[in-house]
Amino acid sequence: MNGTSHSRAGPVVWAAIIAATLALLLVFRGTLWLVVPALLALLLYHALRPLVRALIFRGLSREYAASLVMLVFLATMAAVFFVTAPHAASQAIEWQASAERYLNGGIKLLQSGLRALEGRFDPFARAHLADVVARRIDQSGGLVEHLEPLTVGLATYLPSLLLAPFLAYFFLRDGQRFKSLLCRAVPNAYFEKGLALFHRVDKIAGAYFLGLLKLTALDTLTLAVGLWILGFSGAVVLGLICAILAWVPYFGSLLGGVLVIMVAATDFPEVPAMAYWAAGLFILVRLLDDFVYMPITIGRELHVHPLITVVMIFAGGAVAGIAGMMLVLPVLGVVRVVGETIGVVVMDARLLARHRHARKLRHRLAEIDLS
Amino acid sequence: MLSRLMGVRKTTPYLEKLRKLPLFAELSIQELAILAALLHVREYVAGEIIFDEGETGQAMYVILEGEVTICRQGRPEDGFLTGLLPGEFFGELGLLDDAIRTAQARAASHCRVAVLFREDFNGLMESHLRIAHKIGRQLLRHLGERLRELGIAVGNHRHL
Repeated sequence: MNGTSHSRAGPVVWAAIIAATLALLLVFRGTLWLVVPALLALLLYHALRPLVRALIFRGLSREYAASLVMLVFLATMAAVFFVTAPHAASQAIEWQASAERYLNGGIKLLQSGLRALEGRFDPFARAHLADVVARRIDQSGGLVEHLEPLTVGLATYLPSLLLAPFLAYFFLRDGQRFKSLLCRAVPNAYFEKGLALFHRVDKIAGAYFLGLLKLTALDTLTLAVGLWILGFSGAVVLGLICAILAWVPYFGSLLGGVLVIMVAATDFPEVPAMAYWAAGLFILVRLLDDFVYMPITIGRELHVHPLITVVMIFAGGAVAGIAGMMLVLPVLGVVRVVGETIGVVVMDARLLARHRHARKLRHRLAEIDLS
Repeated sequence: MLSRLMGVRKTTPYLEKLRKLPLFAELSIQELAILAALLHVREYVAGEIIFDEGETGQAMYVILEGEVTICRQGRPEDGFLTGLLPGEFFGELGLLDDAIRTAQARAASHCRVAVLFREDFNGLMESHLRIAHKIGRQLLRHLGERLRELGIAVGNHRHL
């Protein structure tokens, strides 16, 4: 009788949790145009919620606090856009040239590395590894060829991204009402368990999204300081790009590392050791991220075994691509809580009996004057 | 406009009903409106169990309409402990921690209750300390009264 929703889930429940997570990602794959803005809206919601709470604490109603915070946010975004847009437009061509320069720098570093390998290991020399890789890179075309479809692909997402502040505003304004509405659908017998479930889901989502923002800020700061000490120009921008890329678990970090090494190889062609220093710094930041920043930001709220985490990231990628990799951990965290709670409720014979009893009583009451 | 901005509201029959409850008697209409957004109103038919003895408590219940029986587990008649009427509340220890319910609560008649969940009360203490303080004070008065009654019953006068 004394069931608690914190009980550990068994293998059947875990199998159902994993299946439900993958099924959800499969559904999300078809609605990425909505999932991506919804994800950004959740990030925005959790970032702005403390401000709304502070205003409510000062005496404003929830509606006005949400409206005011969103208005200030949109005004700030508009101001940033109008200030930076002319500069960005004038620099666009230069950025393309810079991107090509860094890509060529990275290719040169790769070539020199492969040549060094050929010099040391005979099998690589016999296979003409450096030449084969160079031919493959030539065949894959220039940066512009890849940049164009990527830009067009991103541009198609832009209109749906405008949904993000709109959704975030309604999350801020009506979140509590929506929660009450969901609670109303829970039968009396499961009511307290249901309330606890909604609270835990909210807590996990909050811990994840707010933690992700804090983690991004800490990663950016650490990388920027490290790169600045090494003498990189644009250290903050590079740190920020790497921190955002790290939102995609493992692969994002790998891509960030490649980016940093490419910049090091291009900006410091006469100091080959700089690429190794940059790689060392990047690995140090990843270690800091995993063992220090992650526990103090996202925390251990998700409580998922590392092996399951890694397997689920790959499974998420296979089911829904990069978006799947990004979404799989928060979705798994939420589905786990829901699954465990449903598992506890389904296994609790007393709660089921109480629900059946209440239904019988209501049925009898409905029929009372019919016989 | 300023009053709307500051969330000053006109009263409604539901808010008036809440205001008449001893637990919320000290709250203003504006404060009641904030609290009302956190309360969950549930309906129970006569004989339906609200919570069981031995269950982990996570919420407090305030009776809006109808009557509730507090009894020993599964014994509403021979294990009858007390009957509660509109305006009274029960399960208040669930607001403090994962306290085990020490008795069963059953709807003695068709009843409507307002439920305050512990995590919502904790949130209230962070965002609206004044409201939480007023509710907390009433709760303390109530618990003090119970303690006094208990002290008299068992002859322990340390807490009087």
